[in-house]
Amino acid sequence: MTASLLVQSAVIGLSIGSIYILMALGLTLMFGMMHIINFAHGAVYMLGAYVIYYVFFQSGAPYFVSFVVAMVLLGVFGYLVERSIYRPVKGGIEPTLVALLALTTFLQAAGYPVFGQLDKHVPPVFEGTKNVLGVMVSVERLVIIPIAAALVVGLYLFINKTKMGAAMRAIEQDKEAAALQGVNVHVVNGLAFAIGFALAAASGALMAPIFKLDPMMGEQPLLKAFIIIILGGLGSIPGAIVGGLMLGLIDSIVATALGAEPAFLLSFVFIILVLLFKPTGLFGYAQ
Amino acid sequence: MKRSTGLPYRCVLADCLGNTTERVVEGRHGLAGASRASGEYEGDRRGPPHVIVRANSSARRIAADVIKFGISTPLSGPAAPWGIPHKNATELIFDEVNSQGGLDVGGKKYKLEVIAYDHKYVIAEGVATINRLISKDGVKYISVLGGAVVKANEEPVNEAGVLNLPLAYAEGLVSPKNPLTFHSFPSPPETTVFWKWIKERHPQIKRVATISPNDDTGWWSIKIETTYVEKLGYQIAAKEFFERGLTDFNPILLRMLAQKPDIISVMASPAGSVGLIIKQARELGFKGRFIHVGQVDTSVVANIAGKANVEGMWVHGYVQSPLPEKVKAWQAKYTKKYGEWNATSIDFTNPAFAFVAAVKKAQSLDPKKIADALHSVEFENLWGKAHFGGKDFYGIANQIIYPMPFSEVKDGVATLVAQLTPPHN
Repeated sequence: MTASLLVQSAVIGLSIGSIYILMALGLTLMFGMMHIINFAHGAVYMLGAYVIYYVFFQSGAPYFVSFVVAMVLLGVFGYLVERSIYRPVKGGIEPTLVALLALTTFLQAAGYPVFGQLDKHVPPVFEGTKNVLGVMVSVERLVIIPIAAALVVGLYLFINKTKMGAAMRAIEQDKEAAALQGVNVHVVNGLAFAIGFALAAASGALMAPIFKLDPMMGEQPLLKAFIIIILGGLGSIPGAIVGGLMLGLIDSIVATALGAEPAFLLSFVFIILVLLFKPTGLFGYAQ
Repeated sequence: MKRSTGLPYRCVLADCLGNTTERVVEGRHGLAGASRASGEYEGDRRGPPHVIVRANSSARRIAADVIKFGISTPLSGPAAPWGIPHKNATELIFDEVNSQGGLDVGGKKYKLEVIAYDHKYVIAEGVATINRLISKDGVKYISVLGGAVVKANEEPVNEAGVLNLPLAYAEGLVSPKNPLTFHSFPSPPETTVFWKWIKERHPQIKRVATISPNDDTGWWSIKIETTYVEKLGYQIAAKEFFERGLTDFNPILLRMLAQKPDIISVMASPAGSVGLIIKQARELGFKGRFIHVGQVDTSVVANIAGKANVEGMWVHGYVQSPLPEKVKAWQAKYTKKYGEWNATSIDFTNPAFAFVAAVKKAQSLDPKKIADALHSVEFENLWGKAHFGGKDFYGIANQIIYPMPFSEVKDGVATLVAQLTPPHN
């Protein structure tokens, strides 16, 4: 592998890693607070992409307006899911998992009659390519990096600098104690659902012009997001960032050097090795 | 008991009367009429057990007046641009036969009916749908799209003695061990002949890279294609496989493009994946051509990749212009029924054309007799005369042979540039 190819694959790896980070953020936030794995994350990613298709491509609204619409719509949907699924089962982890799995199946199955059987496409929003360190990278992929960074910083500031974020951190540490201190656990959980869903929608909305759209498009990103949050540590936002970047680089550099299959295999070998030495993941801690 | 008149009830009553030739009793009497004819109590709808048995037995006879043809194909997902025209083309040809009174077999008219299921190009779904067609729907003739799906179902299909007219690429699919499988679309051993055409007209192309799905279909397609092109003197610059459903091809393409290919073959890849491969390869700076000697809808590809990026692509089995008169007539019928033209349907008419021709020749509904007829029947498809052959290559004459169309995308339109016959007959 030549040096230029290594640089090229590293730049591609960073752009892939940014996509992975976005997917993993919402997932890890919800796990950190409520200890639930949101199986519907991939389906919400898919819905976010379809919002772009209809609002941006079909209706002609500006892309960033459509992007915000996707986040708001799916955020509200997340809040409603908390009200109608999570809250009625009183936060039971297993029933919530099964209900979210059922929701995923329903959304994917309903996708074909609602959105059509053929793949959809969204025209590129940011056309052309840029030379980065001698590497041609599409502008639409490069744009993901600052947007992902902005969302990560925004989430970090919200969690660490706001009263609602403090309430989230309190619930993460001890739900009962937080409630005794006057934190409205239901409202904060609803907000966590809304943020988690909105972040998944943001990922889908960013990916829509890059890839193609079909009702099952969220499955692969969901798998990657699971790998990342396990690697980075369940519930850890820094873990999602580092895990996402590492997986993106492995996927790109190893696939370029050895092929796609060894890269897929190596990502799992790498996780197993990390978990052998640090069972809670890179940034996770024992509860 | 009010039910519509029609063939089913005529059969019920004929059976109940114990008269298999006289089919003149009016159907509006329905089961009550059947009971009356049998001397049973008219007022009891449930009837005594033997009446129900007779009715059910008649129902089986009713089914015999309809030839059920099963289709297991991807009607959703990335391969749906293949599956939808597969189903539609078969239905449209059967509609025509039915509008002419049905298929005449031994002096009796049969209606043709399509029972189609979506397997999403997922092997497990393919196994489930074919099991259902054979075991539940009682189908004896099927057409399956997708090499990996057909391979996974070889054993049940052979054991059930079902005639299969697939549109699928997989090693060993056309072989003496599958005597009732008649592959109804040109396969890599036939379509690689287009590389010879390219070699003669575009000698500047020297290095070939291939990318294909990581399954039976992809492995066999690439094996045949690379062997053939190497014999022609091309260099294989790269050979890559991808998991179906993959959307980010950048790392694979980076690896491929580092080998500086002149052309990328995307054989056996579905339209959705081809669109993404082309889009991402162009973004990474690839300026050469793409080729798909399997079959792909270049308009779907262009929607994803962008019209300019697809320009110059070569494709087998997909033609938008110029269309021969026979294909134009098909286009009009297809558009009238489905509202939207789909050029993939042109070559996907083969299973239905072959089946109808063979049943007419066999004058039997026995899958083995129809298979025998397929070995000798010559029929018209939309590109000319077709027959099943290829015994010298496959060891059995179960591969469709006809003048295959080859197009080049010019100004966004898949334009017919050649029609070649396979290297074996």
